[in-house]
Amino acid sequence: MTRLLFAILLAAAAARAAEPAVFSLKTMTAQMKYDTAELVVQPGQAVKITFENGDDLPHNLVFCQPGTDTAAMAMKQMEKPEDALKRNWLPDDKRIWAHSKMLNPHEKEVISFSAPEKSGNYPYVCTFPGHALTMRGVLKVAPVGDTLHDLQFALYLGNWQQLPDFSKLKPHREGKIDDNLLQVKLDDYKNEFGVVFTGKFVAPRKGPYRFYLSSDDGSRILIDGKDILAYDGIHPSGDIKEAGIPLEKGEHEFRLEYFQGGGEIELYAAWKGSDFQITPLSTWLHPKWKGGTKKQKEFDPIPLVVKDEAVVYRNFIQGAGNRGIGVGYPGGVNIAWSAESMNLALIWRGAFMDAARHWNSRGGGHEKPLGYDVLLPTGEATPAFFVTEKPEAEWPKWDKTKRYEGFHWLGYSLDTKRSPTFRYTWQGAEIEESFAVEGDGNKPDGKAKLIRTIKVTGKLPAHAWYRIGNGSFESRDGSFVSKGSLPYRITASDAQLAGQNLVVRAKPGTMTITYQWAQ
Amino acid sequence: MKCILFLSLLCSPLFAADPVEADFYKITTYATPKETALEVGSIELMPDGKLALGTRRGEIWIVSGAGSDDAASVNYKLFASGLHEVLGIAYNPKDKNLYATTRYEVTRLIDTDHDGRADVFENVNDSWGVSGDYHEYAIGSRFDKAGDLWVTLCLTGSFGSAVPFRGWALRIKPDGTMVPTCSGIRSPGGIGFDADGEVYYCDNQGPWHGACTLQHLVPGSFQGHPGGNVWYDLAPNMGPRPIDPIPEAFQGERSRKENRPDGDPDRMVTERERIKQLLPPAVYLVHGKIGNSATAIICDLSAGKFGPFSKQLFVADQSHSNLSRVYLETVNGIKQGVVIPFRSGFASGIIGGRMDEEGRVFVGGSDRGWGARGGKPFCFEKCEWTGKTPFEIHEMHAKPDGFEVTFTQPVDPTSAGDLKSYSMREFTYAYREQYGGDEVSEILPKITAATVAADGKSVRLTISPLTQGHIHELHLDGVRSADKLPLLHKVGYYTLNEIPTK
Repeated sequence: MTRLLFAILLAAAAARAAEPAVFSLKTMTAQMKYDTAELVVQPGQAVKITFENGDDLPHNLVFCQPGTDTAAMAMKQMEKPEDALKRNWLPDDKRIWAHSKMLNPHEKEVISFSAPEKSGNYPYVCTFPGHALTMRGVLKVAPVGDTLHDLQFALYLGNWQQLPDFSKLKPHREGKIDDNLLQVKLDDYKNEFGVVFTGKFVAPRKGPYRFYLSSDDGSRILIDGKDILAYDGIHPSGDIKEAGIPLEKGEHEFRLEYFQGGGEIELYAAWKGSDFQITPLSTWLHPKWKGGTKKQKEFDPIPLVVKDEAVVYRNFIQGAGNRGIGVGYPGGVNIAWSAESMNLALIWRGAFMDAARHWNSRGGGHEKPLGYDVLLPTGEATPAFFVTEKPEAEWPKWDKTKRYEGFHWLGYSLDTKRSPTFRYTWQGAEIEESFAVEGDGNKPDGKAKLIRTIKVTGKLPAHAWYRIGNGSFESRDGSFVSKGSLPYRITASDAQLAGQNLVVRAKPGTMTITYQWAQ
Repeated sequence: MKCILFLSLLCSPLFAADPVEADFYKITTYATPKETALEVGSIELMPDGKLALGTRRGEIWIVSGAGSDDAASVNYKLFASGLHEVLGIAYNPKDKNLYATTRYEVTRLIDTDHDGRADVFENVNDSWGVSGDYHEYAIGSRFDKAGDLWVTLCLTGSFGSAVPFRGWALRIKPDGTMVPTCSGIRSPGGIGFDADGEVYYCDNQGPWHGACTLQHLVPGSFQGHPGGNVWYDLAPNMGPRPIDPIPEAFQGERSRKENRPDGDPDRMVTERERIKQLLPPAVYLVHGKIGNSATAIICDLSAGKFGPFSKQLFVADQSHSNLSRVYLETVNGIKQGVVIPFRSGFASGIIGGRMDEEGRVFVGGSDRGWGARGGKPFCFEKCEWTGKTPFEIHEMHAKPDGFEVTFTQPVDPTSAGDLKSYSMREFTYAYREQYGGDEVSEILPKITAATVAADGKSVRLTISPLTQGHIHELHLDGVRSADKLPLLHKVGYYTLNEIPTK
């Protein structure tokens, strides 16, 4: 009896010994999701969650017993909606063991509880009608694993590009690591050294285990003398490598080899068993190891594929204002036209657009081009036409609350290859703009061209200019080459540089402008 | 013993045969084109029996064969793509073109070479603002009897209006000009006409809306959410800006349960006296019971081909994946009426809907963004009358001292004349800036008489008291038809904006 009591006290003390787990969890705006799909805590651990409703609908956070069909539970409320309303859509269900209030949009609540003593996956969900299918996650309750024992280090000096064969080298210094955690800032050596860590660990049962490793620069892990996981070479600690290994119950040899070339010094290692969560073996925690939470996954991509016809995509395109019209042309060249400024906003190569942001959830936000080498010849949603006696003057800038005066958007027509001709009026004159592609933008030779044709019908005001580029340009072989980090070439007859503006005097008739990535 | 009990439970529906919705209204689910997710956002009838579907993914599909009894004969042809969400689609019989209401533009689509694909996309009107906020949906109507197209514009988020006319209903005239028509809109989900051509839209629960609502778009009116009223300067035709409703509260601090009876009770019915342009919702689509996310408005103009509910409105709901039925009447010049559950069990969240002359209701939608009971991510479906008449409330009329309820079939006079067959509860929602709200100010009135008409087709209920501005929730649990059947739906929610004097 006494012994049992003692055991319970001991267990309680162990649970108490863990630091409280502190999380912040938000509902994502307009996505019907929490921002966090997984929270990991230890059995009995004190948990404090700051729950914030960032959405425009009411949401709660309800924790249930493992195995609860949370969608069915939330749906069941509909059998007696009057009662459910009175309970503010908190189901009357014994499987619920912790919950927040139903938060109005932009409200916040801090909830605290002790994690269940029993390991398992405890689902959490918003029980407001209709939300449970997507607004959910898992609180994983699992003990932490054991750390290493008898950890020793051996420091070597040398300049390597890859891990050397340490067995053939003589250590510069050796010693014991008192806290048994892997750490590389052992000495004052900042560059050109290596460390071999050796120690032991106990696998609590026979079964599969997983090891995690990241470092700057190279490293590898050996278990019982067998190489199981390597992240060799000179690199930053960007990724976490991982590998699984079956282990017999009992004690095993652990060896980690590390070397530092120059620059940053980092080492992260961790392991995980079937009944304990990812447990760091190093003092440094990798930033991708979010301290026990896993962020919500982004959407699977929905690339819009351009085949033998042009593809039009009207939506919020980053860099093309709020009235963007994307066009992907066969030949791997794409543009975004702005029906805000009646101007070409973006040109890019390669893939066209990813619609996943707009075709998932409520479709909010601006999506950037899916391809590469994105050019903004004149900036976001700024018009080409402008009346000024000084073409070096500053062109109108986009005021998001207003429309540009003097412009009227007419729309577009598609030719047999579904290529649009954009139409608008400016100061009473009718303008038509169309685009053609030469070469292949998907090829890296940079020979692809975008040819823009502008047809002006009617009378234009005096001192009307048409701006085709903005920034630093130099005149070269009858073209103008931008001096930006992504150089490109603009060719147009009668184009002239006026300060930062590359302009053409606007007149009735047809203008042709060619845009090309510089070679 | 247990086994027998189980068996009898299994068999009981066969014998007891309480009618279910599917006995009277059949849902057909169509297969949809494999190359897309057909997230229907709007539906229009074409002159040749075809349909035009506008989708949230910006496509317009022309559908043929949907009227056929064989669901497999449905055929889809892509007419246009790349538009920014088609939440309104309208066929113009004058120029024979389709008009799409998209995020920032009403677009005329012309198929000049008659190959079945639109090749000219003309801007008809784009004179409202778009700030890039996801919430700024634009929901468009069909053409009204004057040839105008109505557009209702969601606010920027739930509370404010960042750019012109967010939170307004606009009319686009045949010449392409725009007329600001109503202010006070929050988050429209659908727009439609009644049998007289009057225009209605559905708003959604949120600030200033305790529940979703069906609202009558009377030109010049203020529909209740003041967030968009900053644009009155741009709408001189609308007259002066209405005074703002009081944002919150004031019969004491709610959270402390203070009671200050002389304070402003923030009720629509009180604010109507202060704000002359304020038009109350015609019908509250009671939150959680009728729906959570009201969308399409469908009027039955089939002259009986859809059953006994000729000229009534059917309101769809995205999150409940259902249709509810609305009967409206005009009292003191204000629209009001009753909403009754009608048909649940659609496959996804319903967003677009339209009935053809043959009484076939075409609906479609998606669960995207708000979730839906149906369970499927998107759907296109048909709902048809089976020819069997359900025993239902037909109409509900407000009277100076109660209600007259008519039925689709004669009632059993004994049960229908028994006061115990009925119960009523009255409540309202606070008219306040906070999101949504509870059912408040509950009153349990007395039903003092239930008089069955000689033809058995109606019952006159005397109720004390009637409460102006309250929703009158009538339960008819005990009423039986002459055939001794219970009502298919035993509840109606009547929004009593006005109490008639006679």
